[in-house]
Amino acid sequence: MKLHVTAAGRTRALDITPTGDGFLVSLDGRQHEVNVKVIDGVWSMLVGTPPRSYEVAFSQAAEGALTVHVDGVPVEVSINRMRRAGAAVASDAADGGPQRVAAPMPGKIVKLLVKPGDKVQARQGVVVVEAMKMENELRARAAGTVSEVRVTEGASVEAGAILVILE
Amino acid sequence: MKRILVANRGEIAVRVIRACRDMGIEAVAVYSDCDRGARHVRLADLAVHIGGNAPGESYLRIDRMVDAARRSGADGIHPGYGFLAENEDFADACTGAGLTFIGPSADAIALMGSKTAARQAAMEAGVPVVPGTEEPLGADVPDATIAGIADRLGYPIMIKAVAGGGGKGMRLVTLAAELPGGIRAARSEAHAAFGDPAIYLERRINRPRHIEIQLLGDHHGTVRPFVERECSIQRRHQKVIEETPSPVVDRDLRMRIASDAAAIARSVGYTNAGTIEFLLDDTGHYYFLEMNTRLQVEHPITEMVTGVDLVQWQIRIARGERLTIDAGTAINPRGHAIECRIYAEDADAGFLPSPGHIDALRVPSGPGIRDDSGAESGGDVPIFYDPLISKLVAWGTDRSQAMARMRRALREYDVVGIKTSIPFFRWMLEQPDFVEARFHTAYLDEVLRTRAGEPFTSADDGRIDVALIAAAIRTVRVLSDSANEPPASRWKARARDEALRG
Repeated sequence: MKLHVTAAGRTRALDITPTGDGFLVSLDGRQHEVNVKVIDGVWSMLVGTPPRSYEVAFSQAAEGALTVHVDGVPVEVSINRMRRAGAAVASDAADGGPQRVAAPMPGKIVKLLVKPGDKVQARQGVVVVEAMKMENELRARAAGTVSEVRVTEGASVEAGAILVILE
Repeated sequence: MKRILVANRGEIAVRVIRACRDMGIEAVAVYSDCDRGARHVRLADLAVHIGGNAPGESYLRIDRMVDAARRSGADGIHPGYGFLAENEDFADACTGAGLTFIGPSADAIALMGSKTAARQAAMEAGVPVVPGTEEPLGADVPDATIAGIADRLGYPIMIKAVAGGGGKGMRLVTLAAELPGGIRAARSEAHAAFGDPAIYLERRINRPRHIEIQLLGDHHGTVRPFVERECSIQRRHQKVIEETPSPVVDRDLRMRIASDAAAIARSVGYTNAGTIEFLLDDTGHYYFLEMNTRLQVEHPITEMVTGVDLVQWQIRIARGERLTIDAGTAINPRGHAIECRIYAEDADAGFLPSPGHIDALRVPSGPGIRDDSGAESGGDVPIFYDPLISKLVAWGTDRSQAMARMRRALREYDVVGIKTSIPFFRWMLEQPDFVEARFHTAYLDEVLRTRAGEPFTSADDGRIDVALIAAAIRTVRVLSDSANEPPASRWKARARDEALRG
């Protein structure tokens, strides 16, 4: 199966073929023999020749992208299956579209650092939430313009509540 | 004592339960609603439900703790650290109910818990203190009076809460113009955290290192000081990495600080475990900072270099035994130990708390490694409490071996489901400043400010390739599952289940 995969800002072509005890994966034309064993939700992957050992786990990133943790190092990945008639797209690309800053846990809005129309840089703080007795600054993942602020200072919010939207 | 109630939760409750087991004493756990499945409950001999999730409805309720002890037939109570550990009313209530409180006397907790009274005690014992105010500055003291005192002490100034701890109610003021704002902020935080807006002022020592002395005192007049711990790697006044011995303290300085610490403890008739904290400036002068009248979070590193089980000794002292630890054993370290406080925090998002379900956990082990943890695979880190999940300790014959083992252990440590501060520690242990022990208490905050949120981990090309390959295999599995293909093998079916779950 042919896929387009994106990580670290680069989109690459990947072709994957099941074999007897694993997969043969071609990434940018380079072949990798891959063997996977799932233990308690964690993937043990042996990749290449001689096989190098990796521990891999998955978590769902925002906006439908996937975070793949390789030896504990997170890599954000998005996958586009090359479209065939009627085939579903496995997962949408993370880039493009509005960016929603959501509360990671229940808490109280201590301070809003932006207002609609403000331009923000990547990793700039947009809102301060108090939870677990600590004040925490939530930051923009990427640069953008504030299109909507959905909360007021002093408000209590539930986990997952959308606080600020950036375009 | 035959049965001890552990009035705490998380890793410290587990630590105390283990000490009880080692001594053939039964341990009683207490738990709030959300902690029913927690590790300390499962490890204990008995467990008593004490109320709701908010600490004020459970772990901070003196009446419920005493009642739980009565109902479970416990004859002693160990408070751990945090929660009720430094609450003199709790110590009093235990004693009043005929229970042995495993800690200092209520009087000692009250005296050393007041920062200004503790300073007074240190001065009377002839120990240098940071120049500052001798009396608490209550809410009724006007800002103008405080400004006068600040001018006499000289800027920069630290404003601190009299009832303080854990960095709360603490503000640095570098200019007179910032003083009113600093006073307001410190008072409001102190009032919120401790119910007491009283503050005091201290001159700020330039680039100090945090050096502390662990003590044990028995009921027969013996006080034993231990080799110092250095806890200069702090984030927002909270310790993050501790080590012993300090790389900058020589034997002469060690003996002087230890003897001063013991003098303070003796002067107030201190019993059980306690720690006296000092600031060490860049000219080799040290100043009394405060005393913690409890077992410290970082006590394991002292245990690693002395071979002394501090929690067992707390219990032995509480039941009236004499301290028989040799003075040399306590003060002369064997090797070097380092502790990293592993928090459920997303280090790459400004150390944002990351509570939740732990899907999988691989705990490091092997030569020189100790992991004091309250977490386990399948468990939850609740949002209601301190997000410390484990204390990872590495021991080596010298600092360099201890660091190498810590790096190895951090690489082995794998927590799936929640974010942790492990990536930060992996980074920190590689920094030349850390390796060469060039740091002070403001070092980490300065470094983090300079980095401005730059991630601690970035994947190399090889790992990015592996991430892409893994994501592709997962996608293939999800698609083939949705097409209802018969599973080619049990392994594939299981992998698909896991993929769908992940």
